[in-house]
Amino acid sequence: MTSATETAPAPKRGSLFGTRMREAGWGYAFVLIPMAVFGLFFIYPLVYGVYISFFEWGILGKAAGATATTQNYTTLYHDPVFHRALRNTFEFALLVVPLEMALGLLVALVINAKIRGRAFFRSAFYFPSIASSAAITTIAIFILNPDGLLNRIIGSDQAWFGDSSTALYSVVGLNAWTTSGTVMLFYLAALQSIPTDVYEAAAVDGTGAWRTFWRITFPLLKPAHFFVLVVFGIGALKVFDQFYIVSQGTGGPEYSTLSAVFYIYQEAFKSANFGVGASAGVVLFVAIFLLTLLQRATVGRAEVG
Amino acid sequence: MRRARAALAASVVLVLLTVVVASAADARSEKATVTTVTLSGWSAGKTEDDLLQSVVDDFNNTHPNIHVDYSVINGDYATAMTARFAAHNPPDVFYVDSSIAPTWIKQGVVQPLNAFIKKSKYDTSKFYPGLLNAFKVGKTYYGFPKDWSPLAVEINKAMFAKAGIKKAPRTWAELTADAQKLASSGAVPNGKPLCLPADWARMLAFVFQNNGSLAKVQSPAVAAAVNYYTGFFKRGLAATPTQLGVGWPGEALGKEKAAIIFEGNWVLPYMTSTFPQVGFGVGPMVKGKVNGNLGFTVSYSMAKDADNKQAAWTLLSYLTGKVGMTKWMSHGLALPSRTDVKAVGGRAPFLAAGPSSRGWGFPNFSATLTIMNNDLQAVIDGNKTTAQMLADVAASLKG
Repeated sequence: MTSATETAPAPKRGSLFGTRMREAGWGYAFVLIPMAVFGLFFIYPLVYGVYISFFEWGILGKAAGATATTQNYTTLYHDPVFHRALRNTFEFALLVVPLEMALGLLVALVINAKIRGRAFFRSAFYFPSIASSAAITTIAIFILNPDGLLNRIIGSDQAWFGDSSTALYSVVGLNAWTTSGTVMLFYLAALQSIPTDVYEAAAVDGTGAWRTFWRITFPLLKPAHFFVLVVFGIGALKVFDQFYIVSQGTGGPEYSTLSAVFYIYQEAFKSANFGVGASAGVVLFVAIFLLTLLQRATVGRAEVG
Repeated sequence: MRRARAALAASVVLVLLTVVVASAADARSEKATVTTVTLSGWSAGKTEDDLLQSVVDDFNNTHPNIHVDYSVINGDYATAMTARFAAHNPPDVFYVDSSIAPTWIKQGVVQPLNAFIKKSKYDTSKFYPGLLNAFKVGKTYYGFPKDWSPLAVEINKAMFAKAGIKKAPRTWAELTADAQKLASSGAVPNGKPLCLPADWARMLAFVFQNNGSLAKVQSPAVAAAVNYYTGFFKRGLAATPTQLGVGWPGEALGKEKAAIIFEGNWVLPYMTSTFPQVGFGVGPMVKGKVNGNLGFTVSYSMAKDADNKQAAWTLLSYLTGKVGMTKWMSHGLALPSRTDVKAVGGRAPFLAAGPSSRGWGFPNFSATLTIMNNDLQAVIDGNKTTAQMLADVAASLKG
């Protein structure tokens, strides 16, 4: 009886190439549908949005006789409301992302420690992330009301969402609380992947907990820092729902909760200026893209090397 | 014998088939004469939805050749309609709020109605002109108001009695005097005499009362009206709903955090159902140099892409006609926009504003309103001057 190994012909260069092509063909076939969906719902609208941004564009499409100009971008350049929306958005992102990271990391460290009821705390801290943002914001409006729970506790009558000096920061606090549970999960996964022998060596050297954190844990979490910074940074720059709900769709008081996406929504769907809305979208896209490159070049340098 | 039986069976089958096909064709020809018209609007609660459905049922019963298919659009109405306009698939007849009417008319998605009016000799003189103008551009009609509500003065009776005031204020001078009396007598211990929102949807009525207009928004008349409105805050006689910890002035009246508010017809069912223990009174809107008020109104309009325009016009003219509107008014949910249709009882203070009301809407509405209200809050807070706000508003109104 002859074995299959003995009877199999020796592989030739041509057939190896054919096998690779077949494998590649299967691979492309498998990714074809997801890529088609990605192309149809992400790439095509993106390119089309850039195209629209150069025209006067209404509900029924391009205005009669409209030619490609940069007028929409000029409008944005001169619109103080858009400038305020961009300023609010960047201020929000600048405040909320570090706060989310700090809170998420702190909670992850607590949960990663060998304490009783870890599973309970993990679920409890993650709970705000799975609840509806609209529902949480609505409840927060009650809690932060002038005669709400928070003011009853601290003995104040501050209208947290109704005062232009506190509205943005109140949304920052609310957003950080609702999203830090998800940040915690990423940090927890990263913490659990750090080898224990590093900590054992530090313990043998007599390193204290504070020094161990800053010299070992924090640097080894760099991939997680980069991931969280990019993903949640992009999310913060696209903020809409919480601002919209707390201001009842006005962006107020005094423009303090007017975000860039809110501006895009208002121009496109409320005023039917799709050209201006699209150009604002392009500006925001470019800003996010450049910021992500900057983050990659700084925080993510070692990671993506 | 067998052949004869087969022939007989075949004949029976043939006859039956002929009968079935003939009756189906008959049914088709009957259906072919019935035109379907789609009707859509937003939902303002089950009571109103049911009422409109019963008006539609009446129409269907009296117009056998037209079948109206009524459906509610839930969620963000303007956005949903924008998507349907863009897809060239809007409802044939639909609600248009006066605030968004200029935008949709400018976009060319609303059907001009003059040809239908002329052909059917539809009488437009029965509508309050101020409301009708909200859906007109030049001499072209783009819809007819289905109902409306102006602002009126709502007061807390017990607080007024405590301050020694006998009736709701009728003029600016009385309003100022009453607010001061309410404050000095401590009649509103948990709030302010007035609850005024940082919203031009209230302040514009005062602008009209001072002979001001949006066409000349930087005029001294408008500035004086703004200063009168914001002056209540500066003198500690008013607070915004947010400052009082409520969602809107109606809630402030119900929770006894304000003694005077300016709201429309909608506040009546709200107060009686949510705060039945609070005694409140309603008076006509205050008068400045002249009577002036805002008409919050919604039209029935026809889509430019409507499939059956003649049938859609038949429905539209029925709903805004005397018969349809009379039925629509039977529950007192809104006020009639026609002078020949009576409102239910107790709406006299609102109806008095009919001749002096102007539709709530202006060009570049959404963007301008954002600027108007945010700037007004800044003026109230002392972070912007009236002149700066009016300059911003003027620039935005130009688009």
